[in-house]
Amino acid sequence: MTTDHEQLTTDALPAWLDVAPLLSVARTATAADVEAALAAAHIGPREFAVLLSPAAAPYLENMARVAQALTRRHFGRTITLYAPLYLSNFCSSGCAYCGFAADRDHPRRKLSFDEADTELAALKRMGIEEVLLLTGERTPQADFAYICECVRRAAAHMAMVTVETFPMTTAEYAELVAAGCTGDTLYQETYDAAVYAPLHRWGPKRDFAARLDAPARALAGGIRQCGFGALLGLADPIEDALRLYTHIAGLQKQFWRAGFSVSFPRLRPEAGGFQTDHPVSDALLAQLIFAFRLALPENHLALSTREPAKLRDGFAGVGISKMSVASLTTVGGYDHGAEGGVGQFAVNDARGVADFCAALRAAGLEPVFKNWDAAYR
Amino acid sequence: MSADLLQIGDLTFTSRLLLGTGKFSDSATMLRALAASGAQIVTVALRRFNPAQAADDLFGPLSQLPGVTLMPNTSGARDAAEAIRAARIARELCGSRLIKVEIHPNPQHLLPDAIETLEAARVLAAEGFLVMPYMPADPVLAKRLEDVGVASVMPLGAPIGSGQGLGASEMLRIIIENSRVPVIVDAGLRAPSEAAGALELGCAAVLVNSAVAAAERPVEMAAAFAQAVQAGRAAYRAGLMPRRSAASATSPLTNFLNAQT
Repeated sequence: MTTDHEQLTTDALPAWLDVAPLLSVARTATAADVEAALAAAHIGPREFAVLLSPAAAPYLENMARVAQALTRRHFGRTITLYAPLYLSNFCSSGCAYCGFAADRDHPRRKLSFDEADTELAALKRMGIEEVLLLTGERTPQADFAYICECVRRAAAHMAMVTVETFPMTTAEYAELVAAGCTGDTLYQETYDAAVYAPLHRWGPKRDFAARLDAPARALAGGIRQCGFGALLGLADPIEDALRLYTHIAGLQKQFWRAGFSVSFPRLRPEAGGFQTDHPVSDALLAQLIFAFRLALPENHLALSTREPAKLRDGFAGVGISKMSVASLTTVGGYDHGAEGGVGQFAVNDARGVADFCAALRAAGLEPVFKNWDAAYR
Repeated sequence: MSADLLQIGDLTFTSRLLLGTGKFSDSATMLRALAASGAQIVTVALRRFNPAQAADDLFGPLSQLPGVTLMPNTSGARDAAEAIRAARIARELCGSRLIKVEIHPNPQHLLPDAIETLEAARVLAAEGFLVMPYMPADPVLAKRLEDVGVASVMPLGAPIGSGQGLGASEMLRIIIENSRVPVIVDAGLRAPSEAAGALELGCAAVLVNSAVAAAERPVEMAAAFAQAVQAGRAAYRAGLMPRRSAASATSPLTNFLNAQT
């Protein structure tokens, strides 16, 4: 599918992308609206929009307290851990903000199947039981068959295997599930089609609509858990948050057996030196996380090592229920330490498993590595 | 007075408080809470079995405890086939015949799937498991589960983790009145008074997890639940005075029946 930018008119896009009424709420909410939302028994779309508004910014502490109580109620005093494994940095797309974009001048490599086994064994020795396998967009080097075989191998090592690769067909997702894949993460990057187009300069990722529809195909193919996110810094974060929420709300009704998680990736410095027009401050990141926790009290909210230790420790259990640990964003590297390769982005929390778990425990949180079982795939 | 025992199949227990083991800040706290609760049946999710890594394994520390019977659960299963598979694996791993069948296809609200639960219960009961199904508070489903040979029924008091208490108390009352197997309220409790209320209603036992694990001081809360369960059971055995259904009218409504003209 290669839809040109010119074809991506708003008419072709799903009606739910129009969040104008909610956006209006988020732009005009008052302190009284915020207090009413915080006192509400149920946070619906309107209250969510209120909590995203500038008027809610002075209420961060109140939101944090509710976020912690809700996180604790549903997930207890636990944080589920996972680690990413970059299988390949070949890419067929030209995302302006990505260190792995096809026009970036750095060595390309992918893990051989034997190397993938070695890396998975190294992660297993670190205690990891949930691995997220990553690649760039679809390439001949890291195609569907390659990912499928890596999933099969990972499933032999790990309790849970998830992927973050590229949009696939329903049949391909079904094959991944059969190989042992439980979850699929696919960030829309931004839900603003007009912003999306110039950032995705060429390649299959230019097709905004095909990407938008990928989680529905994944769920139709039997994927049990879908991860969502907007890359914070690309567009108006409030608009993206409202559309992301609406995206999940619609899919939850259609695919009622599935799990839906939200991640909060903030743009990090990368090899290409992309500069953001929409920087997201720590306080705004907090507001986003807390608002999502209040609106989605039962969904996993995840925070990766893009964020520094101080913030990761602070958000753990206060909205956030799932975290990556000891991540490398280079291709492989767990077996012999990072070998000087270029990462997709700069990791900001380089603590190893032991140090990170010690920090969680010091905060009264139990790190949980195995929270799944091969019986369920 | 004869010993007041909780009977699950051919097993008997003196404690009527069952404890869930997830959601605690660490294993040590969980074990202290367990000791304080006096629970003799604890449930542990197969997905939290991790023999490869002791620090992450919930099963290991529990399996060492004297006087505690493990009841593995199938949390994570989306349908009967997965729950049956998980139950068989759990029995292999820990040797317990007790199995808490938990089939909640939606990982957000964790509500039980009645149709899949009935099917899994039928298969597992026939295989000799003592099946303890987590179920909606549905009196007809309770009888259907009894018919396929479950060892108890475990209706939810309210949505799991919600702390809403005995929202389903009228349904629970009907289930209890009609049940020939122990009725154990599972999920939804927040306060010890609600556990006492469940026992007063005639529930054979209650299972709590979040209410203890998410409390400010879990060990103390476990002890409080233990006391509440004992009080509730004692009250049930003592027989509560009938609740008056209506206030007596100052002017009798039936005087007209005796009117002379």
